[in-house]
Amino acid sequence: MTNPNIDLGDIHWLMDILQNIDVGLVVLDKEYNIQLWNGFMDSHSGISPQNAKGENLFTLFPDIPEAWFRKKAEPVFQLKTRTFTIWEQRPYLFHFKNYRPITGRATFMYQNTAIIPLESIDRQIHHICVIIYDVTDAALGKEEAHKLGVEINKLTRVDPETGLMTTDAWHEEISRELARVHRSEMPSCIALLDHSQLAIDADALKKAYALLARSLRQTDLACVPQSGQVAVLLPASDEGDVRFFAERIRKTIGRQIPEFRNHTRIGIARALDTFNNANEWLQAVDAACTAAANTDDHLQIHTPDS
Amino acid sequence: MTTPPIVTLSDDQRDCYQELTNVAMGQAADRLARLLDSYVVLPIPKVNLIEISDLRMAIEGAQEEDAVSAVCQGFIGSGIAGEALMLFNDTSFTDLARLTNYPGELTHQAQLEILMDVSSLLIGACIQGIGEQLEIHFNQGHPVVLGQHCNVNDILNVSNQKWRRTLAIEIHYTMEAVNVDCDLLLLFTEDSVLRLNHVIDFLLD
Repeated sequence: MTNPNIDLGDIHWLMDILQNIDVGLVVLDKEYNIQLWNGFMDSHSGISPQNAKGENLFTLFPDIPEAWFRKKAEPVFQLKTRTFTIWEQRPYLFHFKNYRPITGRATFMYQNTAIIPLESIDRQIHHICVIIYDVTDAALGKEEAHKLGVEINKLTRVDPETGLMTTDAWHEEISRELARVHRSEMPSCIALLDHSQLAIDADALKKAYALLARSLRQTDLACVPQSGQVAVLLPASDEGDVRFFAERIRKTIGRQIPEFRNHTRIGIARALDTFNNANEWLQAVDAACTAAANTDDHLQIHTPDS
Repeated sequence: MTTPPIVTLSDDQRDCYQELTNVAMGQAADRLARLLDSYVVLPIPKVNLIEISDLRMAIEGAQEEDAVSAVCQGFIGSGIAGEALMLFNDTSFTDLARLTNYPGELTHQAQLEILMDVSSLLIGACIQGIGEQLEIHFNQGHPVVLGQHCNVNDILNVSNQKWRRTLAIEIHYTMEAVNVDCDLLLLFTEDSVLRLNHVIDFLLD
């Protein structure tokens, strides 16, 4: 698009603006050779326009993932469309230092980029312009907010009494897990440990919960569905894994509370495609746990026919 | 600040918007087809004046019970401003990944890339297409991902709902033989609609 506001004589100060504007401007040709490199790029990269001009972008900056960048830039050449990248995709295109090297919290500059087509006189696109924006402050703010959100979420999901997950949150999780199982082949199990017939004092129990929490993988979720019981959701585990896990827990806690070892009943149920909702899964594990009373090792695995 | 007069739309104006969008969308669909190397079904755009509650319903209706991912991007030119809202049904990702050649596992990151690639293309083409016909150069802001896999309510609660009634152009994209399902909503601000109507009237004369 020609701009009637611009005279040839104005080029001089236009160049000045180009040099001083606090936005990175890089013009590339079809071979990704640098044709223009403004002051922002010069200052932050330490590569002068004289040295940058004519160089291939990917040779000069080997850390730019070529395939990725080409995927964003090719449509601009071919389809005359603008494309954008945001810091959430890749924090930066060019690895530059944070503008506030002393008081800033980030070590590098977060960048958003826009890639725009530059039309030649023949209306073809022989060049594209990559515009680089410094979005460090916005990115840090957003990351901070996200971290706080996760923290708050965690606080509302943990039962302060037991240090394990709240029952409500746990129920939500098993519903979600069941839906996931329905979509994929990955097995998933719930183990229910019932020690209701034992008289364990509150302090010992709290220690037992802490032991349990430490034995869990990051994806395992435990809660106390009702007093005298502990339930653990173990995603991506089959009955064998869970049996091993539950017996180990019984042993670990048994070192602190000896009667726990021999008198805790364990029920295990795998999520089945036939379960319509999480309650059916819970009923299965409950039934297995009840049946465990009649087994030698006080452990019962739910089978669809049982 | 004076409140702008309530936005209205005559039948002729509505037809004109629809025609404008048809042309722009054809270009956009052509680009998408070339990027994905797959046949894109050309939809008929819906031009409506909507209230905020309608917007909620439009989005909800489009994305029943499934999780939604959305990208929005603001645009402005010659005093006409608005936002493009691109909504993806989460079930579309598997096929989109295949079509856009993202090999490997469909991670959060890969989905974000797909979301950005496809929405960049469709939003850009549509806005430019409409702009070219009206001889308006639209500047586009950076796209913002409105939280992946969230509920429609969460998306709408993000926006501050200061407007009452505005122009919405809704385009529903589907593709032949693959399970891809996305909606592009072009929403203009109330004061922009008055200006746009003016431009449109000029075209109609």
